[in-house]
Amino acid sequence: MRIEANFVSRTLRTTGLVALLSLAFGSFYYGFKPTLSVFTGIVWGMINLYFLSLLVRSSLRPEGADKASALIFLFIKFPLLYLSGYFLMTNDYFDPLLLVIGFTVSLLIIVLKAAGRALLKLDYFEENDKKESLRSA
Amino acid sequence: MDYQTALSFALPIAVSIAAIGSGLGLGRAVGSAMEAMGRQPEAAGKIQTGMIIGAAFIEALTIYALVGLLLLMGKIG
Repeated sequence: MRIEANFVSRTLRTTGLVALLSLAFGSFYYGFKPTLSVFTGIVWGMINLYFLSLLVRSSLRPEGADKASALIFLFIKFPLLYLSGYFLMTNDYFDPLLLVIGFTVSLLIIVLKAAGRALLKLDYFEENDKKESLRSA
Repeated sequence: MDYQTALSFALPIAVSIAAIGSGLGLGRAVGSAMEAMGRQPEAAGKIQTGMIIGAAFIEALTIYALVGLLLLMGKIG
């Protein structure tokens, strides 16, 4: 499967949409408190993925690392995000299992997006379209 | 040995194994990505994206282990 450079931002957008939908429907069907746990987990997973992508893009690149921004993202991602995760998990208001379910949603969306591309053979069709346009040119 | 003692021995070992495994996996992923970027600098964007996704999955496993630890820690003592 080919992974485009904007795959992460598209995944984050879809995850945000799923989070909002789950907050609306979940609070209606399951109550506000468990839905808020799942929603917080989703948001935590999204922020985690976002800062991971920023950290990788600023530190691991062919032209050399952007040290200042890499340090800032490193400081935000590891101590602050893990500390906030620890406080969320140990907090009595949030159910840890529901938080983990929410955290998994962004990963599930990545898998579903990849599976969708593979099942619909989108990469195959894009490749053929490219060959066609090269042939006609 | 009661189950609380067994748990207090098993939990740190389990989290350590998870951390070591994800550390090895992440190191391998980053190493391979850097090698691939060195060989094909024009494909750096795609390689980075693949690496980010891989790193997110590897990191998630450690977080699951940590959550398991936090959930089971309440059962000790």
